[in-house]
Amino acid sequence: MTLLTVEGLDVFHGDLQATFGVDLQVAAGEAVAIIGANGAGKSTLLRAIIGLTPARHGTIRLEGEDITRLSCDMIARRGIALVPEGRRLFPSLTVEENLRLGSARARPGPWNLEAAYDLFPAMTDFRHRPAGMLSGGQQQMVAIARALMMNPRLLLCDEVSLGLAPAIIGDIYACFRRIRDSSVSLVLVEQDILRARAASDRVYCLLKGRVTLQGASGEVALDAIRAAYFGEAAA
Amino acid sequence: MTLLAAVLNGLMVGGLYGLFGLGLALAFGIMRVVNIAHGEFIVLGAFLGATVLAVTPLPLPVVVLVVAISAFAMGWLMQATMLNRLVGPNPIPAMIATMGLSIIIRNALVAVYGNNIRAIDIGPVQNLGIEVAGVALGVLPLAIFALSVAMFLAVGLLLRHSTTGRAFRAAADDFEILETLGFNRRRVYALAMGLAVTLAAVAGLLLAVRSSFTPFSGIERLLIAFQVVIIGGLGSLRGSFLAGLFLGVVHVVGLSLNPNVGPLFGHLAFILILILRQADLPAILTRRGR
Ligand SMILES: Nc1ncnc2c1ncn2[C@@H]1O[C@H](COP(=O)(O)OP(=O)(O)OP(=O)(O)O)[C@@H](O)[C@H]1O
Ligand SMILES: [Mg+2]
Repeated sequence: MTLLTVEGLDVFHGDLQATFGVDLQVAAGEAVAIIGANGAGKSTLLRAIIGLTPARHGTIRLEGEDITRLSCDMIARRGIALVPEGRRLFPSLTVEENLRLGSARARPGPWNLEAAYDLFPAMTDFRHRPAGMLSGGQQQMVAIARALMMNPRLLLCDEVSLGLAPAIIGDIYACFRRIRDSSVSLVLVEQDILRARAASDRVYCLLKGRVTLQGASGEVALDAIRAAYFGEAAA
Repeated sequence: MTLLAAVLNGLMVGGLYGLFGLGLALAFGIMRVVNIAHGEFIVLGAFLGATVLAVTPLPLPVVVLVVAISAFAMGWLMQATMLNRLVGPNPIPAMIATMGLSIIIRNALVAVYGNNIRAIDIGPVQNLGIEVAGVALGVLPLAIFALSVAMFLAVGLLLRHSTTGRAFRAAADDFEILETLGFNRRRVYALAMGLAVTLAAVAGLLLAVRSSFTPFSGIERLLIAFQVVIIGGLGSLRGSFLAGLFLGVVHVVGLSLNPNVGPLFGHLAFILILILRQADLPAILTRRGR
């Protein structure tokens, strides 16, 4: 069963076209990685899926329902959540207040405060601290937990490893296993090819707004990914 | 009026000034709307309350409630029908729209009520007094002060402990992310503006119980609201409250010293604070010390 179907997606920032006819599928229970260099259009694609930057052409369907023209809050309530690039916690709210906002308009499901603290036990230590006063790794945990509180069917994660120490990236990636076990599908946007491949079932490469390669994570060759990533002629 | 009585009266008026500022600060902090019609809503609260008091037998507390509910509806409608179309990175369109609205409200008030100076007469309660430690205090000013403190506390509780209040604060931080959590931005904004206008109108009515007003009083009230926000800061309830008290005391004490130039003292105090804030006090003091 296809959970998310994206067809022929053109997204613009003003006059600047950021994606060109992007096609993408995510099956229920699947983890899909989207990799690409700076400015490839990865964040733009996620923003279009959740309705923050509406697509100009193309369609987006969630379990068959056309959600292309829905507003962001309606899409979110239908079960798509975003862990945004740069974390973007509400800095003047405490960690727990951030989480509570995540659950205020949530669908029913297994994710609640207790489950979130169970996923990231370290969060209990700073639950009452203003979110603006956390380290990058701490912020990332809260950003993931906040999105999970929505009990999404599909979780979009935009460069969760950006700017974090390798040990902390490992901790963060470890949580995706448990998130998938709660039958949440994943889209992981990454610049780190190896990590993206290891954490996903399938990969898409995005180059200058176009899908240049896709395939099962275990099968696509690293060389082919590198070529698709940097736009060199495939060796 | 003795100095002590003037200070106490100033505190009572100041609590209301604090509410003027709080409403303006909420609208700006949450949706970046500079509501130029804020002063007109303050005056509208007074006219509405005066009219309800005159044509119905309702007691003042009920009239306050009626004005609060109507004001919430007006703020909600203004945001839902007009300002939500104008929100964006540029604050100027909303400012111009509310400026237009302020002109409409002001002229409508003149058309309906004429431009006489008015006062609200609530009967014998007006002059009830009690004596505390040898100082005569009006029951009414005390009740009004208590009500403004209660309104500050209620807004604080709302912002801290309700989903709506958390959504207000989150919208001020990052409205896009709030939308990704399933909140309708326009609805959050309409509720916030409803609250902001409610604070303005209720405080306006309570001030009118103690002092006179005309359809043109909005500008002065708006100026006070701005001064409260600038002295007290945007994000702080306590700041608004204390700044309101400060300006209220300066106004009333100034009036008791010289009835002709009362407001002038408030503006001078405001400018003084701006200058002091600019000045590098520690540097000045150490230079003195040497
Ligand atoms: N808000 C915006 N306004 C105008 N142009 C934008 C905006 N956001 C992105 N762009 C442009 O759209 C293109 C795609 O940007 P996008 O942020 O989607 O890339 P990305 O793959 O996420 O890059 P990164 O890895 O740096 O996050 C870039 O050329 C970028 O400059
Ligand atoms: Mg990006």
